Amino acid sequence: MDLIISDLSHHIRLNKGFFLWMGFLVLAFLACLFAYTRQLKYGLGVAGIRDYISWGLYISNFVFFVASSLIGMLISAVLGLIGMKWVQPITRIAETIAVAFAAVAGLVIVMDMGRPERLAYVFLYARFQSPILWDVTVITTYFVISLMLLMLPMIPDMAVLYKRYGSLPSWLKPVYKVLSLNWTDHPEQNRIIHRSIYILLILIIPAALSIHTVTSWLFALTVRPGWDSTIFGPYFVSGAFVAGSAAVIIAMFFFRKNYRLKDYLTDLHFNNMGKVLVLVAFVYLYFNINEYLVPGYKLKRADAIHLRELMSGHFAVMFWLVQVGGLLIPIVLMLFRKMRKPLPLTLISVVVLIAAWFKRYLIVVPTMAHPFLPIQHVPDNFKIYTPTLTEIAITLLSFILVLIIITLISKFFPVIPVVETAKEKGLDPLKSNES
Amino acid sequence: MKKLFYILLPVIITTLRVEAQNPSWVVPDDQKGKICLVRFTSDMAKQGEVIYLKNCQSCHGLPTKKNFASIQPSPGDLSENKVGTQKDGELFYRITTGKAPMPEFRNILTEDERWSVISFLRSFHKGYVQPDPEKMAASIGKRIKLSMTYDTVKRRILVKAVELTSDGPVPAKGAEIVVFVKRYFGNMQLTDPKPTSENGYAGFEWPQDLPGDKSGNVIVGARVNDPTGNMQEAIVSDTLAIGVPTNKPALTDTRAMWSTRDKAPVWMILIYTLAVIVVWYFIIYILLSVVDMRKIKQV
Amino acid sequence: MDENTVNKGDEQDSSKSSRRNFLKNIGLLGAGVAAGAGALYSGDIFEKKKAATGEAKVLLTQDNKLVEVDSLELKALAKNPTKLMLEKGREGIEGRRWVMVIDLSKCRNARRCIAACQEAHQLKPGQYHLNTLQMQDAPDTAPYHMPKNCQHCDNPPCVAVCPVDATYKRGDGIVLIDNERCIGCRFCMAACPYSARIFQWTLPKDAGKHQGEAYNVELNVPQKLGTISKCLFSADRCREGKLPYCVSACPNGVYYFGDENEDAVSNGTTKETVRLSKLLRDNGAYQLMPELGTRPRVYYLPPKNRLFPFEPATDEAPKEG
Repeated sequence: MDLIISDLSHHIRLNKGFFLWMGFLVLAFLACLFAYTRQLKYGLGVAGIRDYISWGLYISNFVFFVASSLIGMLISAVLGLIGMKWVQPITRIAETIAVAFAAVAGLVIVMDMGRPERLAYVFLYARFQSPILWDVTVITTYFVISLMLLMLPMIPDMAVLYKRYGSLPSWLKPVYKVLSLNWTDHPEQNRIIHRSIYILLILIIPAALSIHTVTSWLFALTVRPGWDSTIFGPYFVSGAFVAGSAAVIIAMFFFRKNYRLKDYLTDLHFNNMGKVLVLVAFVYLYFNINEYLVPGYKLKRADAIHLRELMSGHFAVMFWLVQVGGLLIPIVLMLFRKMRKPLPLTLISVVVLIAAWFKRYLIVVPTMAHPFLPIQHVPDNFKIYTPTLTEIAITLLSFILVLIIITLISKFFPVIPVVETAKEKGLDPLKSNES
Repeated sequence: MKKLFYILLPVIITTLRVEAQNPSWVVPDDQKGKICLVRFTSDMAKQGEVIYLKNCQSCHGLPTKKNFASIQPSPGDLSENKVGTQKDGELFYRITTGKAPMPEFRNILTEDERWSVISFLRSFHKGYVQPDPEKMAASIGKRIKLSMTYDTVKRRILVKAVELTSDGPVPAKGAEIVVFVKRYFGNMQLTDPKPTSENGYAGFEWPQDLPGDKSGNVIVGARVNDPTGNMQEAIVSDTLAIGVPTNKPALTDTRAMWSTRDKAPVWMILIYTLAVIVVWYFIIYILLSVVDMRKIKQV
Repeated sequence: MDENTVNKGDEQDSSKSSRRNFLKNIGLLGAGVAAGAGALYSGDIFEKKKAATGEAKVLLTQDNKLVEVDSLELKALAKNPTKLMLEKGREGIEGRRWVMVIDLSKCRNARRCIAACQEAHQLKPGQYHLNTLQMQDAPDTAPYHMPKNCQHCDNPPCVAVCPVDATYKRGDGIVLIDNERCIGCRFCMAACPYSARIFQWTLPKDAGKHQGEAYNVELNVPQKLGTISKCLFSADRCREGKLPYCVSACPNGVYYFGDENEDAVSNGTTKETVRLSKLLRDNGAYQLMPELGTRPRVYYLPPKNRLFPFEPATDEAPKEG
């Protein structure tokens, strides 16, 4: 038992690597924060967005973040509830990613606001008819549920580590004590926590489906070509699973390597996650075919312009790289068992994740670049969107924040559930004289 | 027959084109003699310039500068001899009645304003001598008084014009009458002008579908529209309950997706509130029960 | 027992009514005191006004009158003109349904409408509430110029998506924006199929000059950084019974504007007022993209029997700044 505990918790300490990494993140964060203060001072004009293409990097990034956060629900709720035992060591990684991306998604929206100081108005003057209210509501809800799904299963772990792990940094001890909520492995406590987690796992399914469906509605509820689609909800949700699965695989690889968890995150887990990724990628491919073939067959005037711009026009290079390089080829590769080994699978996931980001850009920007009526008599930078450095820095800011949150959570808490792993092996973690 | 038409077609078109380039804009003889009853002064020309810049310059350009718009038919430079040789009455008539694409300024500029524009133009016409206004002053127009009634049987507006002579009122014959209806941004002319009959009457068909206010009230007016200057301006107006009562609700009266929060569709408020309450009930319930867990001690 | 209850009830009633009376009296007294204080206060202001030496300012009162006030007295007299105008701007003009008719056969891209509009709404050269677009519907059809402004739809997609009621439709049909409320999310821009909305990406024109001025929601000035702007059908002019800025500025008789409830529109150039229904019927009027179900309040008359030959617009892009 002690071996399991030290295996899964030895990374919980302040080491040089951590300081270097955090130092780098904080410096980068501050540099990007400066870019945001510029935007606060001079307005959204410091970004490349203008009339016509009025949503750019920020909104694409927002959609990407919401998408990536969805994976928490797929891994813990869907796969967990249908009894897939192998997901157990991955659940906390998935929830960490969910919490980090969901938390920052809210901030990304604030970064896109022309008047961020009026954020409170969204609640004060909330209109039931606006998808933005729905989005704010479901993202908040999803964030809270994800956070609870991250913290509740950790209660026994923290009690165990607090009591039995001698090398737990002394400054973390009070935190663990408070968060372990007097856990004594009492049957009543077990009953409460299991029931709570069970309810949360059910709640998170509609909540997660809502966040991405509502996010897709920010587009689908308009009449614009490229957005005016009835399958945008499932299209976004399936795309979200692709992005999220890739993110989890990448995180698994890093934790396995840096926190020496080879015995707990095995090739089996990567193989299975590879299969999950192939499955969701196939579903996503199916929706992609629907999304492009159906309007492409009819070629209604505005749709035709939109599709031509995507497939052979201004966005063609990015479009084909994303569709073929970021979806089709990965699917084919991952069908082979060898490609689902940790390293190749991680590399594929990196490509998939990057493509997933650009895919969001391709959903947001081209539609805005081609409104129904011609764009005339306006400055040239209104017609073609070029993100500015400031804008890119502010976008990076959100990524850095996600990394900071993931680093902090994974550094100070066990990445893999300790008690559950022990119980799996028939050990009682709170009793010391076993194994 | 058809063949003949095709052969003739170019001829017809050419003729029409020529017609368009040399518009036959004939001023009636009785209008040509009209003159301004005051002397043109430099002050008046200055006023005219202001009006000219606002209303005429966009097509005619600045006089002598030849910077008129290149449109068909050509507006031309108004300082040219072609204009200078026309009589005051002719210019006045053309400004008053217009000819597409030139708008008619009858309702845009008052008579005085039209004259001041002419006085401005005359300052560019060399050798122009103004006809003596004093001579004409003797013959100011007849004084006309109008009255108006609504004929409920024949459903028409009946306007009566009487001339106030030194011998007392007599029916005014041949006075051109315009009937108008007051609308928010201006007066709407009902039909073409009509002259009064032998006994001073003119009848105007009242459109049965014209909206009035809530109770069907419409402000109707009539005036003498005499371009010859033989009759003085006269006007009468009255509120009549002869319109279609119109009381359309405000466009915001319905609940809709685009209404304000207070007028959101009921089902939407219900679903949103219900969903939030249900989900957050569970979340808070779980939070409380987990926090409560602290109190359970190992037996 | 029964008697007791009855009595009790009576007692309660009487105590209630006496309380009500008491409140009423207080109310009357309060009103009296307030009136007296008001009188004293206004008298005081009158006294002060004589002595004041500040600059004279023209203000719009709640009942829509312009009054001149000494700037030193501004605070005392009009506590918050912005708020007053915001409240008034939420109410449409009763019984009206504004409608615009644009006769494409008369437009020759003089762009006077645009200049007047940009002047009134403090817009930079590249910012349009109203823009004249060069259109061509099919390769073989003739090109034409089309002034395009906000269509003030009766089913406005932009208003539907606003999260904070910042943009709203009034009873008289005008879609307005409250830029004291707008959070700058630009969802309305994304939702509008007519690209009618613009955003203040950088400091608005003459921002320094207009700083601290009361915000007039019916004119949307002063423009505010980080908020939306668009055509307002010149709501301020409508209130005064005047035609919108663009309509009055057109030299070619393109625009008609009026009240659908009166079935009348007035031409901004000739000042002629005509029956709306007849104008639409006789000229084959149409709306922009009616298939989208937005139900615009702007009608177009097709560019047939044109009085001017078509001259292509020189698309000189204004510089941003």
